Amino acid sequence: MKKKLIQFKNIVKSYEDGKVVLKGINLDIYENEFVTLLGPSGCGKTTLLRILGGFLNQDEGQVIFDGEEISNVPPYKREVNTVFQKYALFPHMNVYDNIAFGLKLKKEPKDIIEQKVKRMLKLVNLEEYADRSVTAMSGGQQQRIAIARALVNEPSVLLLDEPLGALDLKLRKEMQHELKKIQQEVGITFIYVTHDQEEALTMSDKIVVMKEGEIQQIGTPTDIYNEPVNEFVANFIGESNIIEGMMIDDYKVVFEGRRFDCVDKGFNKNEVVDVVIRPEDLDIVPRGQGKLKGVVKSVLFKGVHYETMVETKVGTEITVKMMVSNDRPVYNEAANEKMSANDFYLDVEDVEELDEATIIARADAQAWNPDADELISIKEVDYEIKKENGKYPVTFSTAAGTSVTVNMIVKDENRVTSVENEEEIFAVNFFKKADEIQESIALETDLKTWANASAWSLEDGTAVEISDVKYDFNPETITPGVYDVTFATKGYEYKIDTTDKFEVGDEVGLMFQPEDIHIMSREQY
Amino acid sequence: MRQFRNMIYPYVGWLAVMVVVPMLMILLYAFTTAGNEVTTFRFTLDNFVRFLTDAVFLDVLKRSLLIAVATTIICVIFGYPIAYVIAKGPERSGFFWIMLITLPTWINMLVRTYAWVGILQDDGLLNGFLGLFGIGPFHMIHTTFAVVLGMVYNFVPFMILQIHASLAKMDRSLIEAANDLGANPVQSFLRVTLPLSLPGVLSGITLVFLPAVSSFFIPKLLGGGQYVLVGNVIETQFLTSGDWNFGSAISLIMAVIIMLSMWLTRKVDTDPAAGGKGA
Repeated sequence: MKKKLIQFKNIVKSYEDGKVVLKGINLDIYENEFVTLLGPSGCGKTTLLRILGGFLNQDEGQVIFDGEEISNVPPYKREVNTVFQKYALFPHMNVYDNIAFGLKLKKEPKDIIEQKVKRMLKLVNLEEYADRSVTAMSGGQQQRIAIARALVNEPSVLLLDEPLGALDLKLRKEMQHELKKIQQEVGITFIYVTHDQEEALTMSDKIVVMKEGEIQQIGTPTDIYNEPVNEFVANFIGESNIIEGMMIDDYKVVFEGRRFDCVDKGFNKNEVVDVVIRPEDLDIVPRGQGKLKGVVKSVLFKGVHYETMVETKVGTEITVKMMVSNDRPVYNEAANEKMSANDFYLDVEDVEELDEATIIARADAQAWNPDADELISIKEVDYEIKKENGKYPVTFSTAAGTSVTVNMIVKDENRVTSVENEEEIFAVNFFKKADEIQESIALETDLKTWANASAWSLEDGTAVEISDVKYDFNPETITPGVYDVTFATKGYEYKIDTTDKFEVGDEVGLMFQPEDIHIMSREQY
Repeated sequence: MRQFRNMIYPYVGWLAVMVVVPMLMILLYAFTTAGNEVTTFRFTLDNFVRFLTDAVFLDVLKRSLLIAVATTIICVIFGYPIAYVIAKGPERSGFFWIMLITLPTWINMLVRTYAWVGILQDDGLLNGFLGLFGIGPFHMIHTTFAVVLGMVYNFVPFMILQIHASLAKMDRSLIEAANDLGANPVQSFLRVTLPLSLPGVLSGITLVFLPAVSSFFIPKLLGGGQYVLVGNVIETQFLTSGDWNFGSAISLIMAVIIMLSMWLTRKVDTDPAAGGKGA
């Protein structure tokens, strides 16, 4: 059994503005471990590191180092050294003096200092650069100097605060291997802070996943990758397909309306759970041979593989009518003004909240000077409306007396509810002129706006994205008439890493094994 | 880019007329003497010889340099801690303090120096105040003390601003790194903060030493008529004696001294051993 080197006991820290960044952290770190604190920015990982380094004081809790409480020990007396995010090399010293800084303070004999610095320079492969100015070095070299400068003091723990963040991808990968190699060679504890899950998985003996000041999961890279405890960890550590399911018994889970074998147990009967399947664990097989079937929605080339999205179940859909006309704008010769507006549909529920600005927007009422091509403001909006189905005229007029009358058509709500997806989608029929459709530069977004389309979750009322807009006309050659427009939310989609390229629209089957299914409890999230 | 290039010509013209021509005229005057009816100018080194051989003038020069050096040293001693405290404090209060420090410079230097005359007089504000406690009165006006005080007062903002600028742009993580590597607060100041702020100190020294060595109205007002510095001599030559040639020669000597001192400062600044910025 390895020796416990550092213990964080119930560390609480909040900043001056009252924001709590650490909400009671308990963590043990052992000798010779490569520990990574992993989490998105603002999760408190750097704060925890700075508390250990002595640059911040916790509000509550204890930091125990080698059996002693060190909360009141200033940083310069602690047996830890830090590699700072932006290296913090002393710009007025050369490489040698930077590395020798700590040793000189300890008043070690000159020849010993020289020996140790030389050894460090060799360790980080910078033997030739001792006399160089640090400001003349590249990012990767500065990084290695910072590591050497910290390691030369022979600390029992090295703290690294996102040290590879400023490097490019290739250099970062090289340094990952180098860091791991150095850690194994010098045999001390490394505590490494990063938001990069790949870095964490590559180097660590132990990963501590943090979120909003709390530890989510502690484990080896394989544990965390294969058995994430909740949706956050699953999503943060690599990409995942997360589907809602139910454990009907040990080793039996139901999702997408079907029963599957799995390797998890210990859940309550009929407990609602999250089911995680990693993209690389899914295979695409001919339709009918898989455990699930679906349609390929998109294919992205990722270099080594294709990231293929397969939809197994469509989302909630609503179809509305788009009435396209060729109406010309009204022309008022006396004032040299043109004006246009269109009829529009209105939901009964929205009548009460109706105001002039909304009416102008929904009717797309505009007045302009055709020569100067300048918009003219609409001075008056005349209308009367009741909270009943029917047609209600509305007249827009400008100060010069140009006016247009259109109809507001009040209708019952037009919404589709999907109990299965636990969501609702809403949209209304609408009128448009052919040239407006032709001129639209973002037609799908415009169609959503014109139809006032929106979708929301029945569970908590939050907005659900309308990811699909379907229509069967060619916007460039559209002629007057009535067209169907369908809006849909995202259904069940699976991300799959494949080496073969599939075409969008292919009908396929999905295959996976019981051990590819990971079950997460929902309560923890 | 090309079209903007033409826009610098007015400035070049302005600089030529307002800076280069007067300098050339000083140069010309310094090496000439007023001639007779036949030739207007006569080239000569007499002006320089006169200054450098007359013990009175050399005394004045020595006194000017001493006072300027004293002023500069006092400005560093006062300015550095003030700049340090402001730079280490929160940024917002830093702005406030810097504004307070620059505030007096919005008012004409001459007016402020006159105010000191009122404060330092034998029956002035300060003696009146000290009198309340039964101390004094002291004779302060028309002394070296008054002159140095006036100079420090007028020039210390330049020192503070320069040092503050170099301290404020220093990466705070450098201090953390020094602490992390085992340097206590004093050690990290001496080994990191101080060397990194040296460029600011040096430019502060330049900005204080230059006006201090050539100032003429501060010694005139606070030093009284008999307290003569180089600046006063030059002023007298131009305004009272009407000897523009001699006045120009002294100005030129001062210019050479100042150039030498600036060259020295720069040399210290870029010397890697003394903590230059390196390559």
